[in-house]
This record gives sequence, structure tokens and C-alpha cells, in this order.
Amino acid sequence: MTSQIEREIDELCAAARRYDARHQRIPDLTWPKGARIAVNFTADFDAMLLRRLLNEPPMQLAKGEFGGRVGIWRLIELFDSHRIKATIFTPGRICELYPQAMRAVARSGHEIADHMWEHHVPKEPALERDHLLKTAAALEAIGGRRPVGTRSSHSLGLLRQEGFLYVSEDAADHLPYYLRDADGANPMLNLPFHYAIDDAMFYSFAWLGSGNAAQRITDPDRVFDLWWAAFWQQYRVGGYLNVVVHPFVSGRALRIDMMDRLISRMKTLPGVWFATCEEVARHCTAHHPVREGV
Amino acid sequence: MPWKQGYTISDEIGLRDEDVRWPDGNRCCVTVTVDLSLARGPEGIRPADLMRPEAYFAAHDGLDGLLAVLRQFGIRATFAVPAVIARLRAERLRGLLADGHEIAGNGLRHEDVSELSMEEEKARLELATSILTDATGQQPAGWFCLPRQEDPFAGGTISPHTIDLLIDGGYEYMGNGLADDVPHYWVTDFASRRALLTLPYYYHFDDQWFLLFPRRGTGLEHADDLFRNWRAEFNAQYKRGRQFNIVLHPGLVGWAHRLQFLEEFLTHVRGFPGVWNPTGAECARYWRTTYPASEYLKPEPSIWRDYPGSLS
Repeated sequence: MTSQIEREIDELCAAARRYDARHQRIPDLTWPKGARIAVNFTADFDAMLLRRLLNEPPMQLAKGEFGGRVGIWRLIELFDSHRIKATIFTPGRICELYPQAMRAVARSGHEIADHMWEHHVPKEPALERDHLLKTAAALEAIGGRRPVGTRSSHSLGLLRQEGFLYVSEDAADHLPYYLRDADGANPMLNLPFHYAIDDAMFYSFAWLGSGNAAQRITDPDRVFDLWWAAFWQQYRVGGYLNVVVHPFVSGRALRIDMMDRLISRMKTLPGVWFATCEEVARHCTAHHPVREGV
Repeated sequence: MPWKQGYTISDEIGLRDEDVRWPDGNRCCVTVTVDLSLARGPEGIRPADLMRPEAYFAAHDGLDGLLAVLRQFGIRATFAVPAVIARLRAERLRGLLADGHEIAGNGLRHEDVSELSMEEEKARLELATSILTDATGQQPAGWFCLPRQEDPFAGGTISPHTIDLLIDGGYEYMGNGLADDVPHYWVTDFASRRALLTLPYYYHFDDQWFLLFPRRGTGLEHADDLFRNWRAEFNAQYKRGRQFNIVLHPGLVGWAHRLQFLEEFLTHVRGFPGVWNPTGAECARYWRTTYPASEYLKPEPSIWRDYPGSLS
């Protein structure tokens, strides 16, 4: 009995240590020109693709379609009006569904990054690679540049092989950090985002299979207060904020208006670095590279 | 894949703010939909749904209170009415028409039609149309596929045949589309550009998701969030010169503090000049004349390719 429990405790500790070892935090992270905080605005432009992948009914697809017809254009206008370069994480298929919108994204100088071929990562390695290459080719054909970042669970080894510089997923730290795969190999910079700073968590009905009793029906004033508090806390300590929006969610007029107020208020403070994910990633990898053998 | 079937229902780019115009130099369009259904879930109205205190309230005190507020502010609404309700309350509907409101369809018993055969759906649509026509003395111009509180999604349900059947049935518009926030064309055939005008709907402006949702007893009351959503969207759409649609259920919004919020919202709207408040049919007719599909519907040819290992 006792030895069984001891063995289980050892296993738990070993699992946690293995997992810890896959993460490397960046100590004393500084931003260019003495900025106090780096802010990434990132848009996941899946429109109706994820709805389609999950076999949701036609009205759900139409809800996503709003993102391609209307929402993405409003986000481009919003970011352009503030002279902010955002990062648009885009499934490859979107280039076939909304080529004009994607060309407008590129014309405005926003970063176009990978968001999987059709919003999932196949399990079979050959097909996974095929999806990543197809997406990179589609994004390059429309944006003129091969993507260097991804928001996906693509394997880090494959991403490194294909020249990717960063991933943007999950929040094991407030600040950018290095992540290794399960074998402890293939370190890759992660630009973390937190689900609480993701519009879909507040506004998108039936998001990620949530049932009716768990619906997300918050108004924009409340989200404004929450996101401002997150920004303010990170501003005070000198940190990082990744604001995740979806064109079909935040492209709605009431939320564009809220984002406009949020950005305007952020801009009243000195030392806020509004950057693309690629800019933040290049800064981190150049000035705070991964430390081997640590 | 023919065009973008299974992905999109309309063309790729919505009408930009600067191209949206309303009659008589008005700046913004505000439409009000009142859902007279009492259905709880996808099966539509069942006897038990009509034998609840809330159902009685919805048909009497709740509706009276809502109508009084609409009258006070001179607001005209489109009532989305399941055929069984039209049969039950024909006299009340004629009173609504006399007050300048519109009566539109909302299912036979506001049931989910997505799994029905085309023949079955067609038969139900024809029956519903004739019941509505008998009750009101005029054929409805509009049809709604509004969601119910116990649906798994908040957008309403529709079958692959619904829009074609509505076109064949002489309907002028479908009342709850989610792909835009102004009227837009729902395309059923790319080659012939066969399409039905669709009016905008968004669940964040529909009272049923905020008021003791998902149900009395365990649901939470978010009347204040609803009110803030209305105000925020109206303000934003007014600035853009577009459209704002709200959906109301007399059994829900007709209660005390909620009616108070509705009055406060309509008082807010009244402070803005140039707000056009048409019924759904008036809005649809204006839109089809001003933005005919022949000129304004511009679906791009599909460049979609099928690949092994990809969705088609």
C-alpha cells in the first residue's frame, strides 16, 4: 500500500519535471527603445471554416461568414486607423474563400501567419506536412511572404524544418517563452495568449462545444473593463499582452467600437510597443535567444 | 465544389458603409422583430408549451405591455408568427396589422425543419402560409427561421431546401440571416444567381438568450447586458449608417424591469435624428429596388480545389 502510493507520487513528480523541462522562461526580458509593454493584436481568420469542420448547421456557417464578408474589412480599417500592424492567423483555405480580403490584409502591411490548412492538424505526419506546406504556399502566393509564425499544434520539429520562427498558443507564462517538444528537442518561441483575452470566450454562442447553460453573452463594456485591467497590470509590471479576436466575432460594429476605445486608451500611455508577432519574435530570438543546456 | 456551397451563402464582400443609403436621407435603419412563438426546443410548440404560466403571460399581460411601449414610441414591428399561433389568435393579429405592424411566418409550429424531406417541408410551408393568410386576410411577405432557447445553436434552423421553397412560395424575404448586418442575398444557385433577400439577425440583440436563460429557475438574468448590447450596437451602426435589428419575445421582455430597459433604449434611439423604422417587408422592398441582385450581387467564381486529405 505505502510503496504503491510512493510509486505514484514519484510518477507524478517525474511527469511534472518532464513537463517543466520543456519550458524555458526569458529572464530580464526587455523591449526595444525602452518600451514597457509589447502588445500583439492577433486575429484568427477562420470565418466559417471551423464551423464547417465541426459539421455545424448552416446558420452557424453564416455566422462565421460574417467574418469574411464584413468583419475582416472592419478590423483592417480599425488597425490601419491606429497605424497598428496586426497579425492575421489565417487558414490556407481562406485564401480560396476570401482572396480579396487577404490581399487587402497584405496591402495594409499586416503580418499573415499560419492557422492550419483548414483549422486542424492531421495526425499522420505526411498529411500534416502537406497541410503546412499547402498553407505556407497559399499565404505566400497571396501575401508575397512566406509565413514565419503559426497558431496551431503543428509539431515543433516540422515547424523548425520549415523555417518557422514562433508559435502563438496557450499561456504557460505572461511573457514569451521557449517551448520544447515531448522529447525535449526543437525549442521554439511561444507568444502566449490567454483565453480570457480572446473575444470568442465572451461573445460566441456554442464556442468549443459549450452547452446552453454555459453561454457567452457578455456585453462589450464588461470586456473592455476586463481587458483594460489585464493591459494595465502588464503595463505596470512591464510585460506582454496578446489580444485575440475573430473577424466574425469582433467584426460586429459594437465590438469594433469597443476595440477602438481600448486601443485609444492604450495609446494615451507612453512606452507601449504595438507590434506584429513577427517583430516581437525577432526581437526575442535576437536579444533573448534560447539557452542550451539550461 | 460548385461555387462555395457548404461554406458561404452570399457573395464575398458585403456592402461598405459609404454605399449604404436609406430612404428620405435617413441615416440608420432600426427594425424590430417580435417572436410570438412559445416553442422551447427544436420540436416546435407542444401542448405543454401553451399550458405554462409564461405562455399565458406572453399572450396577454406581456404582449399588452410590449405593445404599449411600441405605441408610446411609434415603433412598428414585424411579428414572426408560427401558424398554430395565427390560428389561435387571429383576432389579435388583425389588431396588430391595424396598428401598422407586419405579420410574417415563423414555421408551422416553429419546428426545426432541417431534417425534413423537401416534400414534407413544402407541405408544411404551404399549410402554414394558408393558415397565416386565412388569419390575417393577406399573404405573408416574410418568413423567419428563428432559434428557440433549447436549440443547441443560437442562429435558427434551416434545411438545404428552405430558401428555394420560400422563393417558390412567393416569399419576399427571410428574416434572420447572420452573414451580414444589412440585408443581403442568400444565393441558392450560383449559375442562375437565384437568391432570396435576407434581413439581418444577431443573437446578441435577441432577448431570449439573456433573460433567465436557459430556463426559469436555473438561468441567470442578464437584462442589463442585453440593454448595453442594444445601446452599443445601435450607437455603432448609427455612426456607420447601417441597420440595427432587435428580436423581442413578449413573454420575456414584457416583464417589469425588462420593459423599463426597453423604454430606456427606445428613449435613447429617439434622441437621434434620421432613424428609419420600417417593417421587414418595407425594408426588403426598399432594398431590392435600391440594391437589385442583378447589379449588386457579385459572387466571385470559385477558385476552390479539392485535394486528397482535405474537406471538399
